[in-house]
Amino acid sequence: MDKEQAKNESGKKLSKSLKKNIKAIKDILTAQDILVYEFQTQDGVGCAAIYADGITDKELLGQLAAKPLSLSPAPKTAEEAERLLLFPESKQAEDVDTAVAEILAGNPALLIDTIEKALILGTKKVALRAISEPQTAITVKGPREGFIEDVKTNMSLIRKRLKTPSLQFETEEAGRKSKTAVCIAYLEGIADAEAVEEVKRRIRAVDIDGVPDSSYIAKFLAKKPYSLFKQVGTTEKPDILCAKMLEGRIGILCDGSPIALTLPYMLSEDFQSSQDYFVSPYRATVSRILRWLAVLIALFLPAFYVAAQLFKLQILPFGLLLTVSGGIKDLALSPSLEMLFLLIILEILVEASVRMPKYVALALSVIGALVLGDTAVKAGLVSSSAIIIVALSGISAYTVPDLTGTLSVMRIAYLIAAGSIGTYGIVLLTALILYYLITSDSYGTPLLAPFSPLIKKDLRDSVFKTDIYALNTRPAVFRPKNKTRLKVKNRPENEGAEETKQG
Amino acid sequence: MNKFWTRIFLIAAAILLLLFFSNDFGLINIQQTTVVTAIGIDRSEEEGKIDVSAQIAMPEGKKASSVLVQGAETVGEAIAEFNAKTGWYPTLVHCKLVLIGAEATGEDVFSSLDYFLRSEFVEDSCLVAVCEKTAAETLQADSPIGELTSTAIAKVLSSQAQKTGQVSVCNLRDFAKGYFSVSESGFLPLVSIKKEAEEASSGKDSSQSGSDSQSGGSSSQSGGGGQGSSDVFDASQTVLFYRGKRTETLDADETLAFNLADTDTDLAYGDVSVYENGNKVTYNLKIKIGKKAQKLKIEDGVPVFTFQIRAKAQITDADRSADIVEIAKTAIVPERVLRAAEEKFKAELDGIMEKTRSSGCDLFRMKQKLYRSRPKDFETYKDGLLTNARVLYDIRFDTLR
Amino acid sequence: MDKIKLRQICFLFAAMMPLTKLIVYPAMLAYHAKNDLLFSASANFLLEGTVIAAVMFLASRTRLTFYDLLQNTFGTIAAKIVYGAFALFFLFSALLPLLEQKGFVLQVFYENVPSFLSFAPFFAVCVFACVKGFKGIGRAADIALPVTAVSLAVILLLAFPEAEFSELLPVGGAGVKNIFTGSLYGLNWFTDCLYPLFFLGHFEYEKHAAKKVLLSYAAGAAAVLLFLAVFYGIFGDIALRQINALAQISKYTTSFTSLGRIDLLFIFAAALPLVFYLCVPVQMCVHCVKKVFEKCNPIIPAAIANAMLLTAGVFLKYSFFEVQILFTQKLWWVFAFFAYAAPFLCLFLRRKESGRFEGVKRDE
Repeated sequence: MDKEQAKNESGKKLSKSLKKNIKAIKDILTAQDILVYEFQTQDGVGCAAIYADGITDKELLGQLAAKPLSLSPAPKTAEEAERLLLFPESKQAEDVDTAVAEILAGNPALLIDTIEKALILGTKKVALRAISEPQTAITVKGPREGFIEDVKTNMSLIRKRLKTPSLQFETEEAGRKSKTAVCIAYLEGIADAEAVEEVKRRIRAVDIDGVPDSSYIAKFLAKKPYSLFKQVGTTEKPDILCAKMLEGRIGILCDGSPIALTLPYMLSEDFQSSQDYFVSPYRATVSRILRWLAVLIALFLPAFYVAAQLFKLQILPFGLLLTVSGGIKDLALSPSLEMLFLLIILEILVEASVRMPKYVALALSVIGALVLGDTAVKAGLVSSSAIIIVALSGISAYTVPDLTGTLSVMRIAYLIAAGSIGTYGIVLLTALILYYLITSDSYGTPLLAPFSPLIKKDLRDSVFKTDIYALNTRPAVFRPKNKTRLKVKNRPENEGAEETKQG
Repeated sequence: MNKFWTRIFLIAAAILLLLFFSNDFGLINIQQTTVVTAIGIDRSEEEGKIDVSAQIAMPEGKKASSVLVQGAETVGEAIAEFNAKTGWYPTLVHCKLVLIGAEATGEDVFSSLDYFLRSEFVEDSCLVAVCEKTAAETLQADSPIGELTSTAIAKVLSSQAQKTGQVSVCNLRDFAKGYFSVSESGFLPLVSIKKEAEEASSGKDSSQSGSDSQSGGSSSQSGGGGQGSSDVFDASQTVLFYRGKRTETLDADETLAFNLADTDTDLAYGDVSVYENGNKVTYNLKIKIGKKAQKLKIEDGVPVFTFQIRAKAQITDADRSADIVEIAKTAIVPERVLRAAEEKFKAELDGIMEKTRSSGCDLFRMKQKLYRSRPKDFETYKDGLLTNARVLYDIRFDTLR
Repeated sequence: MDKIKLRQICFLFAAMMPLTKLIVYPAMLAYHAKNDLLFSASANFLLEGTVIAAVMFLASRTRLTFYDLLQNTFGTIAAKIVYGAFALFFLFSALLPLLEQKGFVLQVFYENVPSFLSFAPFFAVCVFACVKGFKGIGRAADIALPVTAVSLAVILLLAFPEAEFSELLPVGGAGVKNIFTGSLYGLNWFTDCLYPLFFLGHFEYEKHAAKKVLLSYAAGAAAVLLFLAVFYGIFGDIALRQINALAQISKYTTSFTSLGRIDLLFIFAAALPLVFYLCVPVQMCVHCVKKVFEKCNPIIPAAIANAMLLTAGVFLKYSFFEVQILFTQKLWWVFAFFAYAAPFLCLFLRRKESGRFEGVKRDE
């Protein structure tokens, strides 16, 4: 029987014959890692545990299933077998399909002759890495736990932080072949119910063979999948996800991925860091202003530098103009091509440094810094001022890691606008991007909120951050039913005054 | 993104990339541009024509170069000729100084200066000054600390210099405002070159004396370098203009008095002499202006122009030895010195008023004041205002107590 | 339905409206009204403010759109004809600001041999903006507010020390006739009062809405008047030469500093709201066309309107002053009729709501 035929028959019920049942399952699961462990009960009735090697705890299977059965008379029904085995996690499967799915998930199917059901035993054992601090979200102060690749562990990390009955997890399955569990996490009464339904609808509509990572799901959740801008927020840290859920967002966990998705997404959230909430509001505000400034530098500096040289020398102060003109005097490339060349070099260096083995990092740094930097200037390929501009722009982009990819593309777009249209091109491209952003929504939340549309209350946690007592309500942009986060009335009276007296 | 927008995006990207890579739509970039830092205008030997010189900033480490176009009809024509002669496009956005040669001021200077008002690519924030000699010669002078001549002159004419009253600074906008106002008058500082001591020629940058290949036949190098001497600039005198023509010149003391009475100067140093025990003693005073105002009234059909000035003075030095107690109380100015200072100030202002009467230059904008405060009387009094007005001085110097 | 917030209308008047009057308008006023330019401008603002007050009064009495009011009173065909006429007017009124801004851009953003090609991509941005409807206008106003506030404040602060306000004397020296001429010839710059009429029914009328809109308008007007005072204080008798006033007034403070023309950055920033506001009449035009041809995809009128403006821009590349004289001195009555008389006439439209018109729902 070929696999297709087997698949067609897989929807059928299990029979009373052990042999037939083993054959039905093995006809579908032909891979070598699917093993059948056959044994007998005390009274000689045949039993078989079918399991996937490597993801099943064989010791537990032997101790809690094979051993008690081989020492007892054969149970007559599946319920009796369940009582006999005392497995903390077990269920019954009536058809071949379910049994196959569970075997593939790591839960063995226990078949007993004369019983037309399979007992699914929860002995899944997947090799997991330990919970550690994610490389992309390192904080000086604050929790260091990060999500891992197991959705259940990730769910537990959230549950650990939000011990409330309103925390809901709804699991959907995505991927025809991968059967990936996608878990939607939200706080009932806080998250927008319409948005939750929309997320569920979209995940159910996913019809793809496999979902290797949550970023696949992010593409399906995005309403404008071709957009240059992110449509879905991401985080690797449970504390951030919980904080976002408390604000009214929905979290989406995907089995096999340590990156949780959050919805609705606003551009300004990428400028927030978890550390902002652990330090003083003044420090947080300074950090955020720096991030905004850095993004502006990353985007506009190369473009303005080129526009200044090509179209508007007046932008450059006189002293700088002389320095720049001295530097580029004998260059073969025009200012715009020089900058494009350097930006491409920067992107190549970034790509290489991400992918290269660590032991060649030093060599590449030397090549990048010395050969491409100093020597290129000496060779008259580029000017030293252009290198400084590109370096500053490149470093600035990394102050907001979640936007680095977008910024890289936009930086080149701005450079082309500046090099072709000039200074006004920069303004026009900004206008175009802003028109796009201000009219884009993510699950009913404007992408550029709280700036456009202006939501005064939400500005308290945007470019600047106020103290915790001022953040007493959830962001209005998410339209939460339960608006109050912090009850200010519980604040001790005259707290500030007492401090003064003591001081 | 639907197909329509995808196509639009691709077409737009293609056009932009074409523009970006060709970069040749009449584009003149930094590599083809010369940065003009100063323009000099002189009367040409040919009747009715002008000589225009431009100082061009060279990249770091090199001295400036000057280009001269002789016998041009207009400044615009001369600028175009720079381009034709050198092959470099002169950009004037960094032109911070316009110098007018002494001989060119005999005619209405706005016949040349209006170029800077008409052009969209020249800033009217540039400083304007008259040269004691020719503008070309002045632009070739060599700054003692090796900076651009135009930069050195601009420093002499800076707002800091104006604040101390040594120079009466004027930018093109202010000069034009005066010219086009009912007063039709204005003033410009007079820049003169003074030779400093000979410098060791070994310290000189050889690049400055090299012939400038860009400037063609009419070019001349940055001046003075080859002679081994450097120049300093003096702008303590002020030239008065009426209807665009030079009429009178204020000397250094008059310039100081004018600045104390009218311009932004609020702190200045000046000498005053008194007789003490039959000996002439000169005190150097630090003068801090507290209030300065000019009022124009019509009293019994006669215009009365009043200077009201209140100032605090301190002694900074004297040309005689003093005992230790006097030195300790140096800030306190004796009454006789204060009165002498007031008298000197009045005398200088009187001298200025006399020059304005004789030249017709309405330096203190009396006509504007009349027009603004008494528009109905303007027609009646405007013609004889400078000559008929009675000038009163309400000047009081005080000392620190 | 195409929605806009009351707050965004306020921002439109407070942040975007003032900037458009700071390019050629100050020099034009200085030419006609001389030192009394503030009176001419104030007269225009008062007149326009009155029209806005009238439209807000109308808004307080009805939740219908302007189109619905016309339809109620004259029927569908007449409503479509009126909207068609206004579409043409909006396109017509966009031309001079377009040429004005083109001149501004080519002078301020470029130094050497700028070409129309540098300005042409504006039309691509405008087509995109037109497709976005009132939501785009409103949210652009949200962005424009901080940008305008910061850039205009910095430019004015830099310019302030150079201003000599006695240049504005003698009061009334220019004469009533010149003041009136300044106002009359400035009508082209005062068509903003028409926008609230087309926003009728598209925004939620709330308590004190009229007061908020009028106060915002007054704030915008005050900013323009302050700018005009500083502008004339700086330039006096040569003010009429200073076209592109926005880029002129702050340079005297920055020219000789080591940072150079740092004010240019703020002038460039101010160009962003200028782009937004230049799109508004074209967006309005597209809105009207959409109403006339109900099933029309907005991209078509947007592309046509912009193509027409682009063509006009190319042909009138060197004719700004001729167009200005034609618009301001010959065709001022067109602006007076459409921008001033028409909104007042709308007060007499039948406001009774028929059952099919629903109340305005919340935006966003």
